[in-house]
Amino acid sequence: MSKLEIKGVGKVYGGKVVAVRDVNFTCEDGEFLAILGPSGSGKSTTLRMIAGLEDITEGEILFDGVRVNELSPSERNIALAFESYALYPHMTVFDNIAYPLRAQGVEKSEVRRRVMAIAKELRVDDVLQKRPNSLSGGGQQRVSLSRALIREPNVTLLDEPISHMDQRLRAVMRAQVRRIHNELKLTTIYVTHDQAEAVTLCDRLVVMNHAALQQVGTVDEIWNRPANKFVATFVGEPQMNFIAATLEDRSHVSIATGRGKVVFPFKGEAPEKYVGGPITLGVRPQEIDLAMVMEEGRPSIAGSVDLVEFQGENAILTLKLEDRNQTEISVAVLGHKLGDVGERASLCFRDDKIHLFDGETPILYGETFSSS
Amino acid sequence: MAGVRLEHVTKAYGKKIAVEDLNMEFKEGELFSIVGAAGAGKSTILKMIAGIEKPTSGTIYFNERSVNDLPPQRRNVAMAFETYNLYPHLTVYKNIAFPLTTPKARANLTRRQERERVEEIAEFLGIKRLLDRKPVQLSGGEKQRVSLARAMVRKAQVYLLDEPIAHLDARLKFSTQKSLKRMSRKMGTAIIYVTHDYREALGLSNRVAVLNRGRVEQVGTPKEIFDTPATDFVARFIGDPPTNLMDGEILKKDGQTCFRTANFDIEIQEDLLEPLESVVEKEGGKSTVRMGIRSFHIRVAGEKKSRNAFQLPIYAIFRTPEGTMLTFELENSFLQVSLEGQADFGMSDKVWLDFDQEHMLFFKKTIKIAKM
Repeated sequence: MSKLEIKGVGKVYGGKVVAVRDVNFTCEDGEFLAILGPSGSGKSTTLRMIAGLEDITEGEILFDGVRVNELSPSERNIALAFESYALYPHMTVFDNIAYPLRAQGVEKSEVRRRVMAIAKELRVDDVLQKRPNSLSGGGQQRVSLSRALIREPNVTLLDEPISHMDQRLRAVMRAQVRRIHNELKLTTIYVTHDQAEAVTLCDRLVVMNHAALQQVGTVDEIWNRPANKFVATFVGEPQMNFIAATLEDRSHVSIATGRGKVVFPFKGEAPEKYVGGPITLGVRPQEIDLAMVMEEGRPSIAGSVDLVEFQGENAILTLKLEDRNQTEISVAVLGHKLGDVGERASLCFRDDKIHLFDGETPILYGETFSSS
Repeated sequence: MAGVRLEHVTKAYGKKIAVEDLNMEFKEGELFSIVGAAGAGKSTILKMIAGIEKPTSGTIYFNERSVNDLPPQRRNVAMAFETYNLYPHLTVYKNIAFPLTTPKARANLTRRQERERVEEIAEFLGIKRLLDRKPVQLSGGEKQRVSLARAMVRKAQVYLLDEPIAHLDARLKFSTQKSLKRMSRKMGTAIIYVTHDYREALGLSNRVAVLNRGRVEQVGTPKEIFDTPATDFVARFIGDPPTNLMDGEILKKDGQTCFRTANFDIEIQEDLLEPLESVVEKEGGKSTVRMGIRSFHIRVAGEKKSRNAFQLPIYAIFRTPEGTMLTFELENSFLQVSLEGQADFGMSDKVWLDFDQEHMLFFKKTIKIAKM
């Protein structure tokens, strides 16, 4: 319910250990933002600084334009929900939800009114007299969220709240969290190491690695225009494939094979200075067209199926490409279209799904880093 | 074919039955996964095959010969566990080579052969560069691969792997899984792989057994397990999102057999009537059944397109680069629908749902469906 601005924020422990370095991003009022990164990337430290659980070494954090660096967690009025529900087992659901208001000395009839309102919203109004332990996991999470949200927080912070649940519960929780965010018009920041969770749930992502911001953008921006090779590989499962290639001209790239080369056109314009030089071609496993027969008129490169990993709806094929390096390529196909080990196939790349990298740097879509 | 076979094997600890009446066959050259939740009895099975635990009743055969009375050291079984148990004072090389240093192994193996064997397996698992290090210098994921290498270095009758990659991060899991698959193909020995993660089981294995509270729910190829789950437990345990399950009534309407849930009537295809018959239960004069349908076997449209379609408001909606996930509330439970591409709907929109009738699955009610 507030706009959140993170400006040049850093955290240094003991004057030496840099946990977070110069992080800048904004979370708009009503936005659902994920902070995504591997363990040790600084994402939880960033969250803790927003919550006020951790001092800010440098930079500032603003809620609706007002600096909150010096404010205590309760003064910041933040809802924090962690993976465990941390409900009081000896209290009824009603008393659990009412707890933060009673602690503030809110008047009795007002407590009742607000508990009823939030309980109705989160669909726990029919279990108010029960104990938390008698509820399902989904029910307990809703009670826990009710308690966190009853203070009408400025910002809701969720730290890996559902990553360790089984897949059934996770699907339920995901839907609930998203629904509640929209219904109550919350401003939500969700911290996770799970890229699939972040991509599914959130409007925009803040990707972190090694204590630093890598990219801020919508899911589509991060998927289609990753700021560097780290983001390209961290988001997407299985990860993006990389193939050694040569830039033929500003709109064609070639892969050398035993018998010559295959030239692929791509959308966009590569900078002149790379023409003629070696380049890394990136292509996502989900964005490769696989054909068991050669398609006329469309450039393709052959490969042979080495492994088939069935995953249910999909299968992941690992192919040995018939380029000079025999590069290993993953291709996602529908589960009922399984290939057989040893089978040869031809791979086509869609011209708008080709990524080109010079070392770590993407060269096709230029400066994509945005911290808006 | 030679291999390992379990015949009517039961293991009880006092009154508590860990596994009951197991009949399984692990063929030579096969990678067989046993998947189930914690406490399902997976590790008990491995321990009985290894000879660490004795079956309470039933027989275990190696190459059609009962091994019930053979001690572990005479069974020629190699094991790797979730915990690493590496020798801290030995290098990685010596840890891996350890099973080859028994007098018997020594007599059959020159030093050079030993080095070749160790290096080959280390190469397979991507730890060759670590051979001179000590365990204390390794990350958890590296230790786990060393432990796995040590189990796989020796020629054994059967390899027993108990959650051997549980501590690896997602990327390493994928690559280690691939290595295991290639190794299995090369070795031609039975590998029994225990995991709680259905994805690993499906992706890796030739066949899978789904275990629930000490009993086998289903044995089959990954595709069989996914496409035609034998029970409601398997349907819900395998897949993300899991199979949608809903209880309903079977009734006749204008001569047509229908499944009724939440006042919606869905016609049942002619060829499903026979399998349906075997699972229908009588409850208070009604014929009831549990119906399952995968999230991608449901169509969604803005208007009514078939007479079986029914209308529901969207509870939550997720857009990912690869598709759209919709959640609906139905009878106190959530219905998950996944669509290809971007759907043009918003939260709370009322839309028409249509089940792919040929993909409706019918079950007896053996598990409790938790409410949302």
